[in-house]
Amino acid sequence: MAYRILPAIGRRTLIKGGAALGALQVASPYIISARGEVPIKLGFIDPITGVLSALAASEVEGAKLAVANINASGGVLGRQLELLVEDSANDVGTGVQKARKLIDRDKVDGIFADVNSAIAYAIAGVTSEKGVFHIVPGGHTDPITGKDCKWNVFRICNTTTMDSAAISATLVKKFGKRWFFITPDYAYGQTLQEGFVKQLTAMGGTYEGDKLPINTVDFSATLIKAKAYKPDVLLNNMGGLAQINCMKQFTQFGMQKDMALGGALFELESITSVPPEAQTGWWTMEWWWNQPGVPHVAEFVAGIKKATNKPASARHWFGYVGVHSFKLAAEAAKSLEGIKMARALEGLVLPPEVALQPGKVFFRTGDHQLMPSIFTGEAHPPKGDPANVFTIAEAIAGETAGGTVAENGCKMTYPA
Amino acid sequence: MLQLVLFNVTNGLIIGAFYVLMALGVAMILNLSNVINFAHGNFLALGGYFAFVLTPYIGFWGALVVAPPLVAVIGYLIERVMIRRVYSRDPVYSLLLTFGLAFILQDACRYIWGTTGLPLTVPASLSQGISSELFFITGYRLFMMAIVAIAVIGLFAFLRYTRMGVRIRAGTLDLDTVAALGINVRLLRSFNFAVGIYLAGLAGVLAGGQIGLNPNMGDDLLMPAFIAVIVGGVGSLTGTLLGGLLIGVASALTTVFFPSAQEAVIYVIMAVVVLIRPRGLMGEEGMLT
Repeated sequence: MAYRILPAIGRRTLIKGGAALGALQVASPYIISARGEVPIKLGFIDPITGVLSALAASEVEGAKLAVANINASGGVLGRQLELLVEDSANDVGTGVQKARKLIDRDKVDGIFADVNSAIAYAIAGVTSEKGVFHIVPGGHTDPITGKDCKWNVFRICNTTTMDSAAISATLVKKFGKRWFFITPDYAYGQTLQEGFVKQLTAMGGTYEGDKLPINTVDFSATLIKAKAYKPDVLLNNMGGLAQINCMKQFTQFGMQKDMALGGALFELESITSVPPEAQTGWWTMEWWWNQPGVPHVAEFVAGIKKATNKPASARHWFGYVGVHSFKLAAEAAKSLEGIKMARALEGLVLPPEVALQPGKVFFRTGDHQLMPSIFTGEAHPPKGDPANVFTIAEAIAGETAGGTVAENGCKMTYPA
Repeated sequence: MLQLVLFNVTNGLIIGAFYVLMALGVAMILNLSNVINFAHGNFLALGGYFAFVLTPYIGFWGALVVAPPLVAVIGYLIERVMIRRVYSRDPVYSLLLTFGLAFILQDACRYIWGTTGLPLTVPASLSQGISSELFFITGYRLFMMAIVAIAVIGLFAFLRYTRMGVRIRAGTLDLDTVAALGINVRLLRSFNFAVGIYLAGLAGVLAGGQIGLNPNMGDDLLMPAFIAVIVGGVGSLTGTLLGGLLIGVASALTTVFFPSAQEAVIYVIMAVVVLIRPRGLMGEEGMLT
């Protein structure tokens, strides 16, 4: 005797069931919720090792804070963010290889790269070829948003033209027109020195200088040349640990008695790494933690302090703004498609909780360059708070210092 | 211009003296054990960081005395646990092993002390230039030169006048015969490795006082050390001494005329020496084969 324990499933029933299931895939809130469980992957490439490692670490920390905040408030387009961090090792080949790996194997939806201008520039070529949305948090060389600008690339930090234009007049006015440059011999240093020379010669100044390898450790030979030149100002354009070493030797040789110090960037990470006698000079600062009365700055500073036990620096801000810019672009475009996100971010004004500074901060449409305020001022030994090592003298509008899109040579073209 | 050149020759000798300290450590290990120690720069960093930790308790002078032997002890243990296992193999194995070790030590420093540079405070008495004219010869740089000179004389005296030193020199020439004479070659190699690492640790303390501390600080000092050994000649510590001074002076002089080539020039010197005299300036034919 046979017992039927299950209803027989006919062909028609099977087809109906299949159709219903298909409809559910499109219509059901459950399925949307399930899609939300697939994170949006962001590839973050920075020189975690090498002379720029302290700056890179801060950018990554800023990005991580942004990811944590965004995920806690529901993510982007209903999906969580996942940050994949890769070390470019301060090497162009390695950086490009990591970009290709993140795009081809990990299928990231956006790339963030790199502190090193030459690596950022090279990776922009890869992301453009692949059509991947790319934000450059901290690589300053001009061509990235200048003559070699690309539809998919946006930059958070200033251009070298912006930084050099912001501080040049101050250096001439305070100290004089005879300058000596110590400059790293790669993309960042070359365009930075070009920017300074353009400003200086327009004001009738003269200069000399050395372009040195990016990882130079001993600056004594160049400092001997600098002393012989008798400049009014020594512009230390080196970055990261190289800049720190140069500053230390400068003060060990007692050269601060003979000439002033200055330049484009002497970042918080670097100022706090040199002895008090080297905490000196006039510089630009791309973001500063001590802005009393500016909304949301204190929250951000506290967030970084809690997460890293460090004071918030411009590099933290770059990483933080980079990830938030991705969110703003995706939500304005309602898509993760590169072209739609790029179009959406053009001209977008950052909300106060992301801008974290006074004034209008926006991505310029013509070249995708963020236009913030540029702070100029003086580095000094700590006053009270150990991180209080810089006093802002002036805030200059980024667009005023940066020149027009036409002057910078960007001709933006989108794929057909 | 003449003054500038003379200043840079003097400055180059100071820089070269530091390379010598690094290179002698590299050469000691390479000559006896055929190990190309890629982690040498990271032992240097370790020396600097140890001094940083010790300075608040025993001062800079105390740290200068204590930190290098501590690094040497770590070197000795690493040799016992890891390096000696690859002595009998092709030198590529030891090269790969120390290459990996370099990353481990660097990341350990980064993990413990962070990526941000740290200052190693030196006595104020050493911080001043000896005169406004010779501003680049600071008390600290003179002190470094003196320490290097003492270390070099001490090392050469040790190798010439002590039983262990004579054994190391003999082992450099023919380790098999030394072993056949009943000398404990394993102990000899371990001790020699520790001496080489001691020199790295000492260089680390001295470098820390000059340029501060960071996890990568040894990386850029390692290549000049290797080049000093190759230029001077593998197997010859005197050659290494000359090689270090030569590339220091060449690098400083190049900065006067063609600054962006200050790094490249030492590789050019190495290439020329290898092409014209493959054994190096004072090396012996057949070493490291």
